[in-house]
Amino acid sequence: MTIYESVLAGLEEVRRHLGQTLLSLLGLILGTGSIVTVLALFGGQGELTQQFIEEVGGVGTIIVSDRDEALRPTARELASKRLTYRDAAFLKARARSLLAVSPGWARNLAYRVADVSFEGQVIGTVPDYAFINDIRPLVGRYLSDLDLRQRARVTVLGWAYADSLFGTAPRALHQLVSIGDRSFRVVGVMEREEFYFAAWSGNALAYRNRRAYIPITTAQTLFSPDDRLSFLTLKARPEHGAAAAETEVTSLLFARHGVEDFDIRASGQRGSEDQQFFLLFNFIFLVVGVVSLFTGGIVIANIMLASVVERVREFGTRMALGATAGGIFTHVLAEVVVVTILGGVLGLALGTALTGTVAHFMQMPAVVTPVIAGSAIVTAAVVGLLAGIYPALRAARLSPVEALRYG
Amino acid sequence: MAALIAARGLTKTYRLGQVDVPALRGVDTTVDAGEFVAIVGPSGSGKSTLMHILGCLDTATAGSYHLDGEDVSRFAGKRLAQVRNRKVGFVFQTFNLMPRLNVEENVALPLKYRGGVPRSERRERARALLERLGLSHRIGHRPDELSGGERQRVAIARALVGSPAILMADEPTGNLDSHAGAEVLATIEELHRDGHTIVMVTHDADVAARAQRTIHIADGRVVA
Repeated sequence: MTIYESVLAGLEEVRRHLGQTLLSLLGLILGTGSIVTVLALFGGQGELTQQFIEEVGGVGTIIVSDRDEALRPTARELASKRLTYRDAAFLKARARSLLAVSPGWARNLAYRVADVSFEGQVIGTVPDYAFINDIRPLVGRYLSDLDLRQRARVTVLGWAYADSLFGTAPRALHQLVSIGDRSFRVVGVMEREEFYFAAWSGNALAYRNRRAYIPITTAQTLFSPDDRLSFLTLKARPEHGAAAAETEVTSLLFARHGVEDFDIRASGQRGSEDQQFFLLFNFIFLVVGVVSLFTGGIVIANIMLASVVERVREFGTRMALGATAGGIFTHVLAEVVVVTILGGVLGLALGTALTGTVAHFMQMPAVVTPVIAGSAIVTAAVVGLLAGIYPALRAARLSPVEALRYG
Repeated sequence: MAALIAARGLTKTYRLGQVDVPALRGVDTTVDAGEFVAIVGPSGSGKSTLMHILGCLDTATAGSYHLDGEDVSRFAGKRLAQVRNRKVGFVFQTFNLMPRLNVEENVALPLKYRGGVPRSERRERARALLERLGLSHRIGHRPDELSGGERQRVAIARALVGSPAILMADEPTGNLDSHAGAEVLATIEELHRDGHTIVMVTHDADVAARAQRTIHIADGRVVA
């Protein structure tokens, strides 16, 4: 009917009271802007997270850990030996859905070479560990099955430790290093690992460069009274899938322990601290955005209500000329939506500028995609629809006689 | 000839808090096609209420009202809006043109509300009427660029564009100086000569004298 005229009327309102309209749209503009920024940064962050998960083992990696002990453990729970190297060997032999089994033992021990000494992490593990974590030696080799069987006193150093103990990685090869007062031969040095969520956030994988790997059998013989594990990482066969593997591992371990005293989860379910910081950051921005949209909507509803009261006689005349209540309702609603869509466009511009600035200064990948731009405009239109309902109802419910007599 | 307007026992009561205030107390009236009738009376007599009911802007509390052979006294909402759009053309004291629309768009507005009239036809009919009323040179102007007399003639064109059965004018000269008022009255008389049925509400005896027939209202009743 008169949608075109409503659009025209909306634009005319904007033109006639430019300052007032912009002021009334401020909340909406800020709200749309901050939501656009959040979605753009979040999109960039999501891509990075995906890369990080690939870097630390990829999809299909399963992490098994001891469940926290109950306050009053049952007899079965007390009887269980918890996760042990024997559990890992059992899974390796029996679980058909697993491609790799990587048990791990971790301890902080003293490192010493000549007069350089410090305390640092030692990981006792198996050859599969390198496969699951997709890490390679820079020089020399990684741990072998033979090392494991012989309980060999060999070690593969992390890049940073090779550097600090021997000056450079190649020079460390074949040297002796004292770890926990026992002598180990360096058979390899790992590549330097790095991953950056943002230029300012530091190397998320730095901890992996500061450790040494030794055979888990050696570790448990020399430094441990039992064969309990610190962690157990598994990789499912792609054709079976992580879910099937989790089920199989759960039943196999349950049969051995007699009680479910372990937890199983897929990798990537818990974000790193960096990611959690970003989630919080995004969440706050999102809340600010939604609150701004809400207050923005209320302001718009209020201004529109005033405009309806100001134009009561106009609506009365339209009714006298044959406009129905529904026609008046649509007319007012269309006017509000035109104004809020304009606010959405301005908010999108603000959000794009803000995204560019943040991405530039924080060196983070972020881009306002067409989908984000579209949702910003749609959101603004929805705010307009909601804010316009009451004023439009007020206009549509006017009695023609009363409206014509008004003013 | 059948009466265009046939009202029997029209009663209108407004409720103000606990008190019923009667505005019309049983009005019988008929207007034949082609008549030019003036409704006169002092303010508060009920003449505006009568015109609102006859123009289908309001409905009577009791009584029957046939407009152009249709019993509209039981109509409401959308149907009443349709009757207003097709059968009645309104001219107001304060012109009530849409300030954002130009003259042609203002005149074509009732056809837009009617629906189903193509844009080209709306333009054509609006332009034809404006030409007939001597306003062709004002087609693209906004209402605030026109004189009072011109605005009222634009309003008359808007009232006529839908070919209504009846033209209702509520104090059409009330906001005009005597020269412009005379011009507008001359236009209305010319329309009457062309066969249009006109009902005009006024409290000005000189203006009422231009009509063929006068209906006097006092205290909600027809007195003469």
